[in-house]
Amino acid sequence: MPLRLLKYAWKSPEEELRFFPQEKPLEKEYDVVIIGGGGHGMACAYYLAKEHGITNVAVLEQGYIGGGNTGRNTTIVRSNYLTSEGVKFYDESLKLFDDLSEDFDLNIFYSTRGHYTMAHTDSAMRTMRWRAEVNKHHGIDSEVVDVETIQKDIPYMDVECNGQHPVMGALYHAPGSVARHDAVAWGYARGAQMRGVEIHQKTQVTDIKTASGKVVGVETNRGFIKAKKVISMVAGSSPRITNMLDIKTPIEVFPLQSCVTEPVKPFMNTIVVSGSLHVYVSQSSRGELVMGASVDPAELHSTRSTLDFVEGLTDQMMDLFPFTSRLKIMRQWAGMSDITPDFAPIMGKTQIDGFYLDSGWGTWGFKATPISGKTMAYTVATDTTHELIKPFSLDRFERFNLVGEKGAASVGH
Amino acid sequence: MKLRLEKQPLEWIDRSQSLTFKIEGESIPAFKGDVISSALWAKGLKVMGRSFKYHRRRGLLSLANHDINALFQSVDYPNIRGDVVSAEDGLSLTAVNTFGNLTRDAGSLVESIAKFLPVGFYYRAFYSPKFLFPKWESLIRHMAGLGKVDTNWTEERKHKRYHYCDVAVIGAGPAGMSAAIEAAKNGVDVCLIDENPFIGGSLDYQYVNESSLESVRDNLNQTIEEMPNITVISSAYVAGYYGDKWLAVNTQSGLIKLSALSVVVATGVFEQPAVFRNNDLPGVMNASAAQRLIARYGVAPCGEAVILTSNPEGYRAALDLRKAGIQVLAVLDTGRPSHDWYEQVSDLGIPVYKEIQSIEAHGKKQLHAVTFQVNGLSHTLDCDGLLMSVGWAPAGAPLYQAGGKFSYDEKVQQLLPKTLPQGVFACGRINGVFDIYDQFKDGKQTGLNAAEYALNQTLSPCDVLKSPTPHSHSYPIWDHPKGKAFVDFDEDVQLKDLKGAIAQGFDNIELMKRFSTIGMGPSQGKHSNMNGIRILAKLTGKSIDQTGSTTARPMFHPTPVSHLGGMRFRPERQTALHHLHVGSQAKFMEAGNWLRPEYYQSDLNRQACIEAEVLAVRESAGLIDVSTLGKMEVFGPDAANLMDRLYTMTMSNMKVGASRYAVMVDDTGVIIDDGVAVRYSENHFYVTTTTSSSDSAYRLMQKKIVEWGLDATVLNRTGQLAAMNLAGPNSRKILAQLTDLDLSNEAFPYLAMRQTQVLGFDATLIRVGFVGELGYEIHLNASDAVPVWQALMAEGAEFGIQPFGVEAQRLLRLEKGHIIVGQDTDGLMNPFEAGMPWSVHLKKPFFIGKPSLAKLKSLQKRKLVGFELLVEPSNGDSDESPLESNLIIESGDIAGRVTSVAWSPNLDKTIGLADVTMEHVELDKLIHIKLTSGALIEAKVVPLPFYDPDGKRQRPEELLEGDVA
Amino acid sequence: MKFIDCPPIGRRALSEFVYGGLVKHEPDHENVSESVWAEHVFYRHSHPQIQKEWWYHRPTGMWFFFERDTLTDVIHHVSVATKGYANEA
Repeated sequence: MPLRLLKYAWKSPEEELRFFPQEKPLEKEYDVVIIGGGGHGMACAYYLAKEHGITNVAVLEQGYIGGGNTGRNTTIVRSNYLTSEGVKFYDESLKLFDDLSEDFDLNIFYSTRGHYTMAHTDSAMRTMRWRAEVNKHHGIDSEVVDVETIQKDIPYMDVECNGQHPVMGALYHAPGSVARHDAVAWGYARGAQMRGVEIHQKTQVTDIKTASGKVVGVETNRGFIKAKKVISMVAGSSPRITNMLDIKTPIEVFPLQSCVTEPVKPFMNTIVVSGSLHVYVSQSSRGELVMGASVDPAELHSTRSTLDFVEGLTDQMMDLFPFTSRLKIMRQWAGMSDITPDFAPIMGKTQIDGFYLDSGWGTWGFKATPISGKTMAYTVATDTTHELIKPFSLDRFERFNLVGEKGAASVGH
Repeated sequence: MKLRLEKQPLEWIDRSQSLTFKIEGESIPAFKGDVISSALWAKGLKVMGRSFKYHRRRGLLSLANHDINALFQSVDYPNIRGDVVSAEDGLSLTAVNTFGNLTRDAGSLVESIAKFLPVGFYYRAFYSPKFLFPKWESLIRHMAGLGKVDTNWTEERKHKRYHYCDVAVIGAGPAGMSAAIEAAKNGVDVCLIDENPFIGGSLDYQYVNESSLESVRDNLNQTIEEMPNITVISSAYVAGYYGDKWLAVNTQSGLIKLSALSVVVATGVFEQPAVFRNNDLPGVMNASAAQRLIARYGVAPCGEAVILTSNPEGYRAALDLRKAGIQVLAVLDTGRPSHDWYEQVSDLGIPVYKEIQSIEAHGKKQLHAVTFQVNGLSHTLDCDGLLMSVGWAPAGAPLYQAGGKFSYDEKVQQLLPKTLPQGVFACGRINGVFDIYDQFKDGKQTGLNAAEYALNQTLSPCDVLKSPTPHSHSYPIWDHPKGKAFVDFDEDVQLKDLKGAIAQGFDNIELMKRFSTIGMGPSQGKHSNMNGIRILAKLTGKSIDQTGSTTARPMFHPTPVSHLGGMRFRPERQTALHHLHVGSQAKFMEAGNWLRPEYYQSDLNRQACIEAEVLAVRESAGLIDVSTLGKMEVFGPDAANLMDRLYTMTMSNMKVGASRYAVMVDDTGVIIDDGVAVRYSENHFYVTTTTSSSDSAYRLMQKKIVEWGLDATVLNRTGQLAAMNLAGPNSRKILAQLTDLDLSNEAFPYLAMRQTQVLGFDATLIRVGFVGELGYEIHLNASDAVPVWQALMAEGAEFGIQPFGVEAQRLLRLEKGHIIVGQDTDGLMNPFEAGMPWSVHLKKPFFIGKPSLAKLKSLQKRKLVGFELLVEPSNGDSDESPLESNLIIESGDIAGRVTSVAWSPNLDKTIGLADVTMEHVELDKLIHIKLTSGALIEAKVVPLPFYDPDGKRQRPEELLEGDVA
Repeated sequence: MKFIDCPPIGRRALSEFVYGGLVKHEPDHENVSESVWAEHVFYRHSHPQIQKEWWYHRPTGMWFFFERDTLTDVIHHVSVATKGYANEA
């Protein structure tokens, strides 16, 4: 029994510090308005307050805290990217994740499981080696492993894949982890609020007002709010926000679907991804297999579920894990992914003074939560682009200076 | 079988067929038609499972497919629901997630420390010190989960079927049956879907003893049976409603994808438990569960019953129990009854306590007594059954998924559909219609509407038939200072947990759900969400509508992976020459959907086999099957214009009878495909694509023809034609035996194309140089490929001809410095970077990606270069050899990557291609390759091609003026 | 799972189609500025809207225009792709 739980002998949980204090009335003006109360928005608010002393901040969330992609993703955290820019950025994120529970005084269930990306073709093997070499060069624990190693670590996987597209090897990334997604958002939200940040749920931004090229505030369903600095951290809703300012981006929005099985006793300790079969799976602490695939084939700003997704996913899943045919799918859902042409995010300042953008997160947003909050907070507080996010500027497309993350197409979860 | 009753009028069991199964070693007798739970209950085994968190004993709750506490596992399946799965002879089961067994479960120790484990306790602990978390996590994982998985289970896959109908009716209760009949009478095809093995729904367990309904029931059943245009799909549920009225209907034999023109949702309502102390003791159950137990399985829910009720249904349950010979000690009404059933119950001498103020159950292992308060006085009744009839929640999943909206109706005290999408209808109790005759009527009018919609007719008006009085208690929740008042039985969520969650700020429905886990278990909140909403609304002072509800996403019930995945279907393509390769001991590899010979096996090892094939091509002759290439014919007046626009090189100035390398980029200038184009005539071209892009290239060509409005046609002949490449210094001599065509250099020079006959079969010959030898690519009908291949092999025998595979070809082309798109190029590489600036004809007025390439030409940051190792790795030590994707490291930074590398037996050295930054592209520059081991080795940038730089071997004739790139 | 009513080929399952991107006019290559070209190649106006899209029907090899609402996924209008679309003003 952990000591921290003994206090409940004399204290009821209701007497605990509230995660979220009673909402304060919405003020007429803030120093900074953050649009989007998901992980990124909350993290940005947290670091603005904690590291830059900026606390007159409002986070405006159209729904509820963490209700967007933060609560819809499959919680995989890894840093085994293809480009140096990506590797450095996500590695910082992993380091922050590792300390979050203690920072927050809240368990985010950051659980290091080891992450396999299976290769079923020789070209996939080349890509895995490419990633491994780049990762190793940057000191990231990442290596190509052979089928025997995979079989030893995951003896229940059918490396023959039912006789077609057999596994030829894998990229193994030991630090690959999962975390309790909601807790990450709640932890940041609580930490930000403790430092004076206000969070306003069910508050939708309907327009962003500018005067002579500078942001002056946001229009909301609860009235106008003055602010000289506005940050959009809204993932799949990004085009709706940038549209308010006529800012053109290369973002397209595609649904990304996931599903879980009924809980079974935990048996799967690693995270398994197969780019060729378009599946990824890990087992949650509740015992559910959490599974996903690649994004839907056509642009859509909706979180509807399709049968095609769950049919395709389960079909491929049985190739890798034949015994899962006896499990049952309990629930499916979807999020909206904001995808860029080079599979790298768009972060930092924009051509509108005082408007900052954190978007283009595709299917990788969750794992970037701490570092994007931290680097965006720095960028907003100092009005200087943080070193780590310089490669992710919006104008790189006009300059034909794309980030090479698309160099090798692979499922990026 | 102590609780088995006399035969019931509509029972589902067949008492003439006995069977036996085992639960944790104990034999359980049952009848055919019993479910696991009914047989256990009949034997008096009321503890069916242990709860998820506290491992409390649990019995029956719903008997309606959400009794997650009666969950079992067998050697074959993990989570078997006792309340719906048939008892099978010989079945052997254990309860899931116990630490011991049902009787003794060490997991129940958790309850003794429950005080320390309030809602969300796991967020509050285990993380500090950090290094101990994995230990705690492992303990938590040990406690988590339900059934056990055996990873040795073999794969099961079930067939899927498609079905089409005009009207789909979900739920075959009184309303659904009436709707189906009325729709069918209007001449449309109807599918009637019900999750039970028999249709009837509540009519057959809530109205069994209503003699006035006997003829109505018989009439409904008979009509449905007799109408040819009603298809009954029983033991099946709609797992999800997906766009455009597609229903995923899960049956025991697999998934039916049902497409309907209109949909009637007559799914009824889920009975909701009351929340009070010890409401989870075995013996406490929903009244409808008791009625199902009696009517379907002839099993008594208890010996002495107390009924807690807020609606007429509770009184009818009392009458049903009495009829079955069960003693009803009392009816405890939360209000003041004013209906006929109250009179009937009173007339039987059953005491009715009105306006009871609180209730609490007692018992250690199962229910022993009930205490309740009336007028401030406390009463205790000893009993072994407490039946709850306090309200209902809509089984609204299909309506929610269809986009329907619900709103709380204060009169009925139930969420009712408010707006529904066109063509989707609801009737019966989900619609708030509770009077049985009104349910028939509602079904009838809705069935008519559904048929009208399907027939594209104007919809007839409908009467609103919803109940004028409530059938649900507005707040069936009684707190107790000592807790153990359960809201969610799957997840062991108590009232105090929800209060705790709300007090900590998780005060909207989604946050409360996520923090407390209410509704997240396998029943997905079927018995808990409504009470959760009521509690949240009450504690936050909001209305039910303001509080809202969580989304009802698919699946309606957990649905087997084997059904959703269905049969395995993966195309695998073989070329026309496949069996010949098999006969030649080919080792196959997958290339997209195709199988291609990687190399041909002999007594030698893999490397030696490949080298032998390479040497044969270099020294005499080799033959490779290249049928997997995409093969497109392009013709029409605008064919040349189209070719110019599709490819980076000018194609319109190609002579008839010539060929040219063809590279395609996308709008951003990235290489997406390459191949060889030939010109058959002024307006007729033929072009190959890479194996993997044949479909996408064909699609793009068709799109561009439309977009640009060209008078051209593209024909995809990939599967129809075979192709092979005969290469090597002796190839001409061999081919000459099979064709009358003049193969002399003068008549058929390098890069020329000829249409001729080979072995009497029409064929296109192209003088190609991909592998760097005199060579002929032969394209011909797939049906003619086998004899031609065989004849070439036969004629070549005297020259030692060898078939060669993909691996030999890779090495041969590397020696020539030719790229493979997708291996030497990546998802962002343009032709300048690929070292092919000559392939970009920027003077052309238009081609895809031209403006991008014009820009990128000056922005070049990297380039593919050839390299050779300065020092060869010691023989056989693969750790010292560079591998594809090893990095180029200069001054500690990544300066590029090896894209192709191999030891060349012809050149007797290791050669490769590397994608390096512009600082390192100069000839003779030293570059450093970081091996997988981490060691750096030196290589030198050398000119391409490595082999036969003048190209004398592929065109042994004098250089002719021609279409050389 | 959806059905599409396609004028010449009747009612078809969406699974028979491949998404081919937004229908847009390509700027004239000769005189296009770099920024206009970059906008054409990279930028999207992908807020929810009814937009005209290319969809390819695999079994027949035909290209269609769908006018589809990217918020609701409702396809409001289907037509055979107009030949010479790029040449229209």
